[in-house]
Amino acid sequence: MVGRRPARLHRERTLNSRRDYIVLGVSLAVAAVFIYAGVDKLRDPLQFADSIAAFAILPAILINLLAFGLPPFEIACGLLLLGPRTRRVGALAVAALTIIFFTALASALLRGLTLDCGCFGVGAPSRPRMWFELVVDAALFSAALFVYLRSITRLSESAVSAK
Amino acid sequence: MTSAITGSTATSMRLPHDRSPGSQILRDLIGVALLAVASLAAGLMINRSSSAPLPVVYQSPEQRFDAELTTLVAAPPFKIAPAPAVGLDQFRSALDGKSTLILDARPSAFFAVGHVPGALNLARDDFARDYRRLGAVMQDAHDKPIIVYCSGGDCHDSRLVANALLTLGFSNVSVFTGGWEAWSAAGLPVSTGSAP
Repeated sequence: MVGRRPARLHRERTLNSRRDYIVLGVSLAVAAVFIYAGVDKLRDPLQFADSIAAFAILPAILINLLAFGLPPFEIACGLLLLGPRTRRVGALAVAALTIIFFTALASALLRGLTLDCGCFGVGAPSRPRMWFELVVDAALFSAALFVYLRSITRLSESAVSAK
Repeated sequence: MTSAITGSTATSMRLPHDRSPGSQILRDLIGVALLAVASLAAGLMINRSSSAPLPVVYQSPEQRFDAELTTLVAAPPFKIAPAPAVGLDQFRSALDGKSTLILDARPSAFFAVGHVPGALNLARDDFARDYRRLGAVMQDAHDKPIIVYCSGGDCHDSRLVANALLTLGFSNVSVFTGGWEAWSAAGLPVSTGSAP
């Protein structure tokens, strides 16, 4: 048996390798979305602040602070997703962010508001677009959660094999 | 020798970095919180270094517009009777009469993509600059009928611009409430290009 690996171990390594490529692909896609969204918001912070205000959720003192902080946060999330050691935190941040976006959009839709979320570029207020962005948020949350859980699983597997 | 190490002793010998999922998730949440704080700090620095920094406390479009008007007039409070509304038929009649000044209150980017033929751009979000740019035209129009439009629907820009013009002493200003939405939905002619 010297020099030959057991077949079961080889299959597990192949499966893990495929999953790792899927995680990498999903991470790259989500990273691209968030880096683009963050850079786009930095171009017109005033417009983005007006979009936040349109949700009628936050008091005036917090609206501009969110408009200042969210674009760098989105860019940072995207960049963190690119690195194998930082991917976990990036994925968790994206998951948290998409929950907040989803809740805000759902709340606006339930209250009968028609607005431009400003999530992925500036546009005219539109309810169909709000629904579309709600679906996109759900998809991004699912992707981020997948990446995070896979990363946690790999970490646990590494810890177990190290013992 | 190693067989003398009991299970309880082994479990009490914890590794310096506990890798249980629960503790890792907690560490990750702390990381996210720190990232949020760092992002806010970065955002504040970016705003501070911007050529047009925003104030820390948000101002609504109406509040900003009111502040902007003070650069043009010794502003009275922004409380006047709203400009009357006109429908599509009235708007088309006024346009055919050619004596009415038509103003588009949408941002210049939207104006460039498409606007009512003959309309001039007096954008709500850049009112002071556009008003100065239109200088002579606006001076001539003081006693002429003026109709302002924007996107239509829930858009308030036309109303804000119309009321600003009334504040500035224009006597005959109304608002085409159907806006660009109604004009383009009726299949009416469209002009494109930026304001001169």
